[in-house]
Amino acid sequence: MAVDNQARSTLINGGGPSFQKERIKLRLMSKSRLAIRLTMLALAILTVVGFLTFDYRDVHLLKGIMSTFANFKTIFAQPQLAHFSLSEAIYQLLVTLSLGVLTTLIGAIIALFLGIFAAENLSNKKVSNVIKGFVALIRAVPTVLWVLIFAVSAGLGSVAAVIGMSFHSISYLTKAYSESFEELDAGTIEALEGCGASWWQIVCQAVLPSSLTSLISWTFIRFEINFGVSVAMGAAAGAGGIGYDMFMDSAFYYNLHEMGVITYLILVVAMLLEFMSLKIKNKVRS
Amino acid sequence: MKTLLQFKNVSKHYDKKTVALSDVSFSVNEGELVSIIGPSGAGKSTLLRCINRLIDATSGEIIFEDKDVLQIKNKSKMRALRTKIGMIFQNYNLVERLSVFENVLHGRLGYKSALVGALGFYSEEEKQQAIKILQSLGLDEQIYKRCDQLSGGQKQRVGIARALIQEPRVLLADEPIASLDPSSSKVIMDQLKKICSTLGITVLVNLHQLDVALNYSDRVIGISKGRVVYDGDPASLTDDHIQQIYGSDREALNLVVREPKEVAQKI
Ligand SMILES: Nc1ncnc2c1ncn2[C@@H]1O[C@H](COP(=O)(O)OP(=O)(O)O)[C@@H](O)[C@H]1O
Ligand SMILES: [Mg+2]
Repeated sequence: MAVDNQARSTLINGGGPSFQKERIKLRLMSKSRLAIRLTMLALAILTVVGFLTFDYRDVHLLKGIMSTFANFKTIFAQPQLAHFSLSEAIYQLLVTLSLGVLTTLIGAIIALFLGIFAAENLSNKKVSNVIKGFVALIRAVPTVLWVLIFAVSAGLGSVAAVIGMSFHSISYLTKAYSESFEELDAGTIEALEGCGASWWQIVCQAVLPSSLTSLISWTFIRFEINFGVSVAMGAAAGAGGIGYDMFMDSAFYYNLHEMGVITYLILVVAMLLEFMSLKIKNKVRS
Repeated sequence: MKTLLQFKNVSKHYDKKTVALSDVSFSVNEGELVSIIGPSGAGKSTLLRCINRLIDATSGEIIFEDKDVLQIKNKSKMRALRTKIGMIFQNYNLVERLSVFENVLHGRLGYKSALVGALGFYSEEEKQQAIKILQSLGLDEQIYKRCDQLSGGQKQRVGIARALIQEPRVLLADEPIASLDPSSSKVIMDQLKKICSTLGITVLVNLHQLDVALNYSDRVIGISKGRVVYDGDPASLTDDHIQQIYGSDREALNLVVREPKEVAQKI
């Protein structure tokens, strides 16, 4: 070992005295890095243990995979409508889309105000921390659970879906917005204060124009999420729309052909949304 | 000549350890161009910000237009004070995504009710005034450009325009040329000089370029570790004074000043 090291340092230093016995570390091991390593290790062990102790009794892996592919083939290669017409499907798709738009809109409007008061550079530290803590708590519970929680009082259906989805959107967007506001240079706020501008004037004249692009892109990301969630809510919470049709096809009629049509429709909408968000962002930026 | 601004035993402690200003006293006459020089960390920025209350001094009196600004508690009185004091910054501090025109008009916000200002409504007279000021600063072709498309020198001129449209009595400049190349620096300093001599606006400018300070100012205030160590004519600033302001590091001093007037001529 010692000889080996000696030889290596000779190569590096061209025969000069060896300064470095060990390899040079790229980063110092900090507490957080150690925590990350330990977590990764624990997860790896759990995965291995999991696979070893799975109950495989009646499942033949190969057969399972084969039949999954067969189903995929039915869905994607042979789409066909059965229980409703294309125009009905598109109408249901619009219902789902509206659910996404409505909840994003409600979320965005309320989150805009909460975000302003949650931004440390615009608000005081106490208020900011209270709002941030509160929305973090809300965000920790998944959207679907919020819908089910509100379903207790509102009953399963669109009302619970709207309230639950808006609730989660508010907390998500509040965090995103307040972080966008905090990116604004402190000097700019200082300069406007120095001109005698009031707090609301600074918010409207400096903070909002500076963060407009990122507000729009966060809102759009949330809209894409909400569109996906509203498809799921149609099935899980009986909120109606295309998700409900999909649920009926998969669980009730077992009609994979019709599911294929719905899947393609959703795919088209998702791509359209992506395209629109790009367009809007470019427009705002220039 | 009338005294516009007077510091009386002003001190500022950020916390127990950091004393940014201690027992600072001086006065500034109307229409003077005063340079405040000193090494980094001496307290120059703190001093300027105490005047328009972006920073609250710990003790002492700052008399502006015969009133102690430290006694102002009322929000609207504070806004009224700040409209009379323009300020420009090393990093320009513009709203980069807005146009030059909008940034200049921000200087009028202090005069407006919260709602009108927040919505960005400005009168035709204000817009005309903004255009006039931009023309006088040679920015008439950039009026509708976004500020992030401008060069540093142009941005600083927008900053000056935003301060001028306030119709201030005093202009505070915190290292206005520290991020600029020599030729833009000269343009900005010439503008400050012109503002002082033609508009009669008092100018207080923080500088760390000693040669520039000596060349442009009517008076120099040297501060070191939060204390005023020199207050007087630029011509009578001796090597000893300079050493007192910048510390005893001879090597560094030689870099800063050899033949101040000559060096300044070049930029
Ligand atoms: N916001 C602040 N909080 C704490 N200390 C500060 C703050 N701003 C400035 N200081 C300290 O006050 C002293 C003077 O700073 P400053 O006025 O910025 O000096 P200058 O502008 O001459 O470089 C420095 O020691 C600096 O570290
Ligand atoms: Mg400074």
